[in-house]
Amino acid sequence: MSIRLLTPDVVSKIAAGEVVERPASIVKELMENSLDAGATQVTIESQGGGINLIRVADNGSGIPASDLELAFRRHATSKISNSADLEKISTLGFRGEALPSIAAVADIEVITQSTGGITGSYLQLRNSTVVKRERRSRPRGTTITVHQLFRHFPARLKFLKSLTTENSHVANLVSQYALSYPEVKFKLYIDGRQAINTPGNGKLRDVVAEVYGLETAQQMLAVDGAREIPSITGLVSPASLCRSSRGYLSFFVNRRWVRNSTLFRAAEDAYQRLIMTGKHPIVVLDVSLPPQEIDINVHPTKTDVKFRSSQIVYATVAKSIRNRLVSAPLPRVEPIAPQAPPPAMLWTRQGDEAPQPPTFRPEPINMPILRVVGQLASSYILAEDPTGLFLIDQHAAHERILFEKILAQRSQQNVEIQGLLEPINIDLSPKQDEVLKTRGELLNGFGFNIEPFGGRTYLLRAVPAMMKSGDLAEAVRTLLDSIAIDEEPLRREEKIAQSLACHSAVKAGDSLTGEEMRELIRQLEQAAQPKTCPHGRPTMIHLSAQQLEKEFGRIR
Amino acid sequence: MKLSCLQENLKNALSIVSRAVATRSTLPITQNVLIATDGSRLKLAATNLEIAISCWIGAKVEKEGAITVPARLLTDYTSLLPNEKIDINLTKNTLHLKCARSETSINGLDAADFPPIPEVTDGINTKIEREALRDGINQVSFAAATEESRPVLTGVQLEFDGDKLILAAADGFRLAVHYTSVLTPVSAKTAIIVPAKALVELSRFLSDQDESVEIIVNQQKSQALFRLKNVEMVSQLIQGVFPNYSQLIPQKYATRAVVDLTQFLQAIKMASIFARDGSGIVRMEMTPGPEMTAGKMNISARAEEIGENIGEVDALIDGEPAKIAFNAKYVSDVLGVIKQKQVALETTTSSSPGVIRPIGVSNYVHVVMPMFVQW
Ligand SMILES: Nc1ncnc2c1ncn2[C@@H]1O[C@H](COP(=O)(O)OP(=O)(O)OP(=O)(O)O)[C@@H](O)[C@H]1O
Ligand SMILES: [Mg+2]
Repeated sequence: MSIRLLTPDVVSKIAAGEVVERPASIVKELMENSLDAGATQVTIESQGGGINLIRVADNGSGIPASDLELAFRRHATSKISNSADLEKISTLGFRGEALPSIAAVADIEVITQSTGGITGSYLQLRNSTVVKRERRSRPRGTTITVHQLFRHFPARLKFLKSLTTENSHVANLVSQYALSYPEVKFKLYIDGRQAINTPGNGKLRDVVAEVYGLETAQQMLAVDGAREIPSITGLVSPASLCRSSRGYLSFFVNRRWVRNSTLFRAAEDAYQRLIMTGKHPIVVLDVSLPPQEIDINVHPTKTDVKFRSSQIVYATVAKSIRNRLVSAPLPRVEPIAPQAPPPAMLWTRQGDEAPQPPTFRPEPINMPILRVVGQLASSYILAEDPTGLFLIDQHAAHERILFEKILAQRSQQNVEIQGLLEPINIDLSPKQDEVLKTRGELLNGFGFNIEPFGGRTYLLRAVPAMMKSGDLAEAVRTLLDSIAIDEEPLRREEKIAQSLACHSAVKAGDSLTGEEMRELIRQLEQAAQPKTCPHGRPTMIHLSAQQLEKEFGRIR
Repeated sequence: MKLSCLQENLKNALSIVSRAVATRSTLPITQNVLIATDGSRLKLAATNLEIAISCWIGAKVEKEGAITVPARLLTDYTSLLPNEKIDINLTKNTLHLKCARSETSINGLDAADFPPIPEVTDGINTKIEREALRDGINQVSFAAATEESRPVLTGVQLEFDGDKLILAAADGFRLAVHYTSVLTPVSAKTAIIVPAKALVELSRFLSDQDESVEIIVNQQKSQALFRLKNVEMVSQLIQGVFPNYSQLIPQKYATRAVVDLTQFLQAIKMASIFARDGSGIVRMEMTPGPEMTAGKMNISARAEEIGENIGEVDALIDGEPAKIAFNAKYVSDVLGVIKQKQVALETTTSSSPGVIRPIGVSNYVHVVMPMFVQW
């Protein structure tokens, strides 16, 4: 179908709004166009966080010379023609918005050669107007280059995050589409460095190996619900393999990457009680259903969908995953700590009045001198002083102690580092890789010794001494995820300290000896902010002697 | 079932098998102990599905039978009885015990519901002296990992080759290797990984009655049987590949210090009091003595606010002066299992692994990764 302008009544039905929020939005739109054009190879380049340059080249059907200028007009598309088509969208694009929106905020060059076209054409646009047009040849396909994003929009430019963050968004987007289209060969170059290179052989597991590492790929379980309606296919992690962030859940609806709460919930519910709270699975799933069953026209960036029967979608996804997990060999589940009962009304929560955000040099807060009475549910320490009873959350309390210790060691340049007998392999996602490349020094300063080992694999040779146990590779990935977003350097250091403290602290469910409990209390007494954990939650709750006497009816 | 046996025998057997009773379990019957006649003996067995322990005692059997009863209850009760004959009688699912002037009945669960204890017959078969096995377990099992992020490291690798046996355990920061021999050569070279916990249990109930222990591994290498005179333990084996540890043992050293073990351990313990606040860092400085005289090793630790401790021990030093820091616990753990009077500490650089070996025997090597500190 050739490119045509949509009629105003169709246009009025399309969700309007900002299409280009950041460099990654451009990558998304251009990649989607390439995929709609049937490309089997898509090469993406990003320079200077995607602000200086983004280039997407494909070997798809190309744009006929006669249509090329029209493609940059608003509401010009070859993908739908009337309102009825809006009900059954089977392409990634349909609004005719992407190219003109990009042209409005950046300079563009296109070279394209369409199937059956005699020569290729070249077009250059500035401020949405064509400044150059000529014949140029190229093998079939399209290359679009976007220069100097937001050059005329300093306010928008200021809104962007650091280059690292923008790069990590780009890497993540390419990863997602690579996972959705295993038969397409994706290559991503960030500032000239190859960040992603998928084989394009149609095998999802091979793409997962490229994005999340071979070890992960080998463990993933295939979900094949091709006969279900909707049909659910993809790979999910066994219960024994989990991550500490939600960033490893990828969903595609008719192969479009979406962030949809129904799907998130379905997947997480399927893993409920199989993995620890606070942990998340790795999921790569395509949900495929007739186009009439979904409405993609809900968000201007097309990153969410509405399901006509979301209950059925929820149930089918949850069931497909659950069935697969149950048929897998039984995982070794780490003991889950019993859920804490909601605090009864008579308890005053010590942290409540002032849930202080963690500060770097906090005012000291006094803590009572406590006598340990015992341990409750392997999770709480019972202690008393003359004023009454204290219940102390052992994990939160230990987190607090370690958090302050880490920051103190760090500021005194006196970090304690333990060498590893045998280095541990860490596979990073493209996004984590970007973060490590730019912020690796920071991890170094906290006692990690990480060496490149080719591609996105690294060797961990030493760790902060206090973290010794547990899955160290996963701890590093969690850390990288936690510092991917931008913020003040000081805040970033706190995040690292938080993450290290959380990894290393005793867990709820660990039974402690009397000596260990006394030691923990002793150290908590010395903490600057003993009453809250680094996340701001209380470490202890207090039941006063008066409250006790009142409850037992001894006084009124 | 009707029989009689001695209280002391029953008590001992219960204390052995109860090590395999499940503590928290989704399968309630695994909190029971199986009591069954076996020819002219009484067999007791318990399993937590990872290990199973069976124990036989002499009994006068009048009528055969089997039942399972709550292990804790029976153990507690039996231990309070006088050391006399106990008459045991089973009617339906109730076990009656009569001893001296006490009588009790305990309701049990059908023995048929008890998880079958795997038979381990085929595969490799060998025998080892009791003391050799005990030493081996003792010298390596503490180095195994205690948490599950890499399951193979929670086990001890047993490598059989002819009449040689190598036990090895590692947790990512240290490695312990013990070389010993078995009494009957194995037919084929075999390596298995036994959960360290299971071996520690085993070494606990090796008694003077047992001169040797028979070890049988099944063909699939999924289970191993350890057979003593009156006790058998079956353990599930950990599947996976144990790290190739031989490449982790440094072949050369730049500095070698030979010290008296007791003095060394004492100095480490003193330092570790001061190292307690942090990650237990102790620093060691080795200084060779001038011309053929003994050198010394300084062992120090400091704690913010509390102070500093410096201990000194005499040392025969071969090579360069050296500095290295370790987690105090790692050093005291290994010194605690060496029986020889002297040990050698070998180092190359302050960031490469240190090696500790007993002096006078060559059957043990321990490798510890240092901590990286500012000097
Ligand atoms: N890489 C490409 N290969 C072939 N044709 C393309 C390519 N990129 C754009 N086009 C053509 O240009 C038209 C306009 O693209 P544009 O992305 O602006 O709109 P769209 O994809 O139709 O809808 P949407 O705004 O939802 O993306 C497309 O409909 C398509 O015909
Ligand atoms: Mg488009």
